[in-house]
Amino acid sequence: MDPREQTEHRPGATAEPDASRGARSGPAFAHASEAEFARILEFYQVAWEYEPHVFPILWDLDGNLLESFAPDFFLPELELFVELTTLQQRLVRKKNRKVRRLRELYPDLRIKLFYARDFRALMLKYGRSALVSELSGTLGQVMPHPDEDGSPDSEGRLEGLDRLGGPSGGADRGKSGLDGEQQPHYERRSRGARRRAVRRAAAAAAHTPATT
Amino acid sequence: MRVSEDLVSDVAEVLLSEEQIAAKVAELGKRISDDYAGRELTLVSVLKGSLPFMADLMRRITLPLRIDLMEVSSYGGTSTESSGLVRILKDLSAPIDGRDVLLVEDIIDTGLTLNYLIRYLKGKNPNSIKVCSLLDKPARRLVEIPLDYVGFEIPDAFVVGYGLDFGEVYRNLRFVGVLRPEAYES
Repeated sequence: MDPREQTEHRPGATAEPDASRGARSGPAFAHASEAEFARILEFYQVAWEYEPHVFPILWDLDGNLLESFAPDFFLPELELFVELTTLQQRLVRKKNRKVRRLRELYPDLRIKLFYARDFRALMLKYGRSALVSELSGTLGQVMPHPDEDGSPDSEGRLEGLDRLGGPSGGADRGKSGLDGEQQPHYERRSRGARRRAVRRAAAAAAHTPATT
Repeated sequence: MRVSEDLVSDVAEVLLSEEQIAAKVAELGKRISDDYAGRELTLVSVLKGSLPFMADLMRRITLPLRIDLMEVSSYGGTSTESSGLVRILKDLSAPIDGRDVLLVEDIIDTGLTLNYLIRYLKGKNPNSIKVCSLLDKPARRLVEIPLDYVGFEIPDAFVVGYGLDFGEVYRNLRFVGVLRPEAYES
């Protein structure tokens, strides 16, 4: 059966939006660039939701969910999903593939990929060029917790984080401004966000029959 | 930020020459004159970037019209402090209810400012609101707003001149050019 018949998704209509994570409520951002992007949207009074929907995008032959994708932002007034890709090139390719898959399965859905260069240009436009190095790439990422399961989350973030050398961080960590006492705070919130994403993906999979 | 004494030397490439801009402005002025004949036109310039464009465009429109100026605050938040909300720094000086408003912009990229302005101006009950932008950078668009009059669609590069600035500099260049990376990376 055509998976699109099973998983048709209208933006803002389903997939259990989490009211506690709406605009201005301080959601758990996985990346500093996402927090900055949210501030920009707030500034221009554009309503946003952070990772409110998880879309199943790949199943095995038995119908078990193999992969899902949670775009970073949903702008309900504009009916637009936005995905920030400020990580390494390898992760950008992975996200490009996920977005292509998302567009195949949910052709009515509008999603905008915001690449590192787009983010950089935005910062430049607002005179925040000095922030670029702090907010983009690996330096802007949240550290994973050592007892986390090793599986990549819906964004593949753990892959990138692993390359930093685990919770003690790599050589670049000292430049990030996330060292020291700030880290545990981000870790806790990041784990919670990932758990919610996994629960939502599992719930979505439970309602999605096999696609062959 | 390092600015050369000779502003032109900070420009890597002239994207739109003075002559190209003048020709396009004349063309836009003619189209607007045709489209708004017999109507109550108000041109609203969004400061500061659109000032040269506004000055040239209004003189290429052959209809009786009013002009007005608006300025809105620009985002400047940091990762550690709240930047608040966009504010109207300079509001219209005359009512626009019942009038046909043409917003004059220098460049539309994300569309965030324009989206805010249109929502704000709609609350003042104009007969219509349309948008005229000299430059359109669609690659950066977040908010899809129909642009009724566009001078040039430009590539994804940081441009300055003819009103467009970087750190409030370069607005007085008579052309639109691509800024050298060294000028904003230093």
